[in-house]
Amino acid sequence: MDFELNDDQRAILEAVETLLEQRAGAARAVALASKGDYDAELEAALANAGFTDMALSEETGLLEAALVVEAVARAGGLAAIGAAALVAPHCAGRALPGPIALASAGERGPVRFGAHARTLLVAAADEARAVRVQPGDAETVASNFGYPMGRVRTDGGESLGAGSGARLRSAWRLALAAEATGTMRSALHITVEYLKQRRQFGHPIGSFQAVQHRLAECAVLVEGSRWLTYEAAWRGATAEASATAAAYALAAAHRVFSETHQLSGSIGFTREHDLHVFSMRLQALRLELDGVGGHQRALTRSRWTTA
Amino acid sequence: MEFGWSDEDLAYRRELRAFLAAELPDDWAELSKDGPGSEAQARFSRDFAARLAARGWLTQHWPREYGGSDASPWRHAILSEEMWSRGEPRGPQYMNVNWIGPAIMKFGTEEQKRLHLERISRGDALWCQGFSEPEAGSDLAALRTLAIRDGDQYVVNGGKIWTSYANHAEFCFLLVRTDPDSKRHRGISVLLMPMDTPGVEIREIPAVVGERYFHEVFLTDARVPVSCRLGPEHEGWSVVTYALQYERVGSPRYARAALTLDQLAELARSQGVLDDAGVQEKLGQARALCEAARALTYRVIDQRARNQPPTADSNVARVAGTMADRAVAELALELFGPESLEYGTFGDAQFRMAMTAGVAVGATEIQLNLIATRFLGLPRA
Ligand SMILES: Cc1cc2nc3c(=O)[nH]c(=O)nc-3n(C[C@H](O)[C@H](O)[C@H](O)COP(=O)(O)OP(=O)(O)OC[C@H]3O[C@@H](n4cnc5c(N)ncnc54)[C@H](O)[C@@H]3O)c2cc1C
Repeated sequence: MDFELNDDQRAILEAVETLLEQRAGAARAVALASKGDYDAELEAALANAGFTDMALSEETGLLEAALVVEAVARAGGLAAIGAAALVAPHCAGRALPGPIALASAGERGPVRFGAHARTLLVAAADEARAVRVQPGDAETVASNFGYPMGRVRTDGGESLGAGSGARLRSAWRLALAAEATGTMRSALHITVEYLKQRRQFGHPIGSFQAVQHRLAECAVLVEGSRWLTYEAAWRGATAEASATAAAYALAAAHRVFSETHQLSGSIGFTREHDLHVFSMRLQALRLELDGVGGHQRALTRSRWTTA
Repeated sequence: MEFGWSDEDLAYRRELRAFLAAELPDDWAELSKDGPGSEAQARFSRDFAARLAARGWLTQHWPREYGGSDASPWRHAILSEEMWSRGEPRGPQYMNVNWIGPAIMKFGTEEQKRLHLERISRGDALWCQGFSEPEAGSDLAALRTLAIRDGDQYVVNGGKIWTSYANHAEFCFLLVRTDPDSKRHRGISVLLMPMDTPGVEIREIPAVVGERYFHEVFLTDARVPVSCRLGPEHEGWSVVTYALQYERVGSPRYARAALTLDQLAELARSQGVLDDAGVQEKLGQARALCEAARALTYRVIDQRARNQPPTADSNVARVAGTMADRAVAELALELFGPESLEYGTFGDAQFRMAMTAGVAVGATEIQLNLIATRFLGLPRA
């Protein structure tokens, strides 16, 4: 047991944070989102620096990859790094052409990054399929939930073999937990900093106890999500550990969304305040892969049923 | 970062489970249904803790010079998980090893160490915690029990309340005000008071959460030798702060809740509802809460293993533990249905445990206050 980053992990995190400071951030996310764009430059920069190869390289693994995915989410990066750094390596055992979008077989609703994807990873019952797609194959969907969306066709593609479907779902859950954790951390941080300086009735709003307790509960949920995510990554994205992290983190996501918006007042609904960059994404993450209920059922099945 | 147990740790847990299987009597479930403070369990603990001590396990995380073996806090955490999840066969003695002993090591005189530490590590000492008073609950620094110096004795007058195990205890870790003109945190001292001191009177407070849970301790001209004072006079608050930092995550509630949940899943299976989506979601939700509480508690143990100063992470872990306890209790009532209404059943026991989780050892709201100011850096009200 060791709950501190080792020197290598610290170095990786510092390096990716430095890159993200220059190439991500809320302002860039707002600019991209206003045009429905995807941050291909960010994905390329992260890939060139080796940050999407962590899961497959000798010296690092899923835990380092999860740290990267969380950091990208925390910085508001608008690129499919969870799929590139965690899901494809774990499911396919190799890198796949990005951007990568993830979908369940027969998915009819909008899919994150669906309209920009070059690879669509499809979770069927037992197997996963990698579908090569071209820009224009998918229909662009306008969305207010922080990510470019597209409606995709999930048929065809190359089978990744028996058992790959389960690996895809587990890694997807791990990626969702990591992204939700990073996104929640920023949403909560923005809200706490705002409420430290926003004054009403002659006091900082953040000094009112009714407000403090709600933020403190959010902090508990965010910390829980964070450690369950790291642990699931360390355990190699097993079905149970990944479902545990996702069940907790995506339930937390809804709570953090509600509290940060409610406590920010009207400024929280504006495009000039950064909260929406993170908060709206939480709702999109929450609905993926059958949502919180799906993660909870997966957890129960992997822990207590042998079927 | 790494989240696995070493082979030694895994072997130790197996050894402990085998030990518990062999040492706990067949009627343990019945015997322990009233909780660690009950007559039966306190009596049992004397024998049981002594057997743990004989194995070298009771105070293994203590330094060698005080009867321990310098084992890592992780080994003690494994012991605590296994004990607490089986209904705490150490009875009240878990407090001794978790925080009373360590406080005596840090602040005690040579005589106090000799008198208490050896006895605690032998598994033959029952203590109670005399902190709360009728007017001093969450606001512990409002305590009023007075100890006025008279030569080499303190004359103690006042009273304590909610004192678990007071009816069995030989000693009380007692908080008193030694400076009558003082206010709040200044002027408080700690006395290691023998419970057979004349002037100490105990009355049980009947409680819905379990038999012999709460007591009131009346102190009338109780004369306690000055040599029983732990730490400097009037500076007891720092002793308490030190002691409590060990207590907050001392009882691994999540471990018991998780074990209960495993049994609830078995019950759901036997009732043929484990494939029901709604049941699966509730089980999954409760399991995730238990796991988060475990992970957050481990984070605090990791800090302790590194000898880092305590942080608000322990408050975070504590709140997470309460969330887990409650989720499992609610599910227990739902799955067992009216069966849980019978005293001493499984659902009833978990429910009583969860009922007090948000109040014992510092209420949830106080934990949230500390998280808000110390963890999030929000301004004080
Ligand atoms: C099972 C159990 C065993 C116990 N054993 C012992 C023992 O052995 N020895 C001992 O000394 N004590 C013991 N206690 C007492 C326990 O420490 C106190 O109950 C606890 O500190 C709370 O105090 P109180 O009950 O007076 O509640 P109060 O302080 O009256 O609080 C009532 C409610 O008000 C809230 N509240 C209080 N202050 C604030 C604030 N500033 N902001 C927001 N909300 C606030 C509290 O959170 C709580 O919800 C035990 C309690 C339980 C439940």
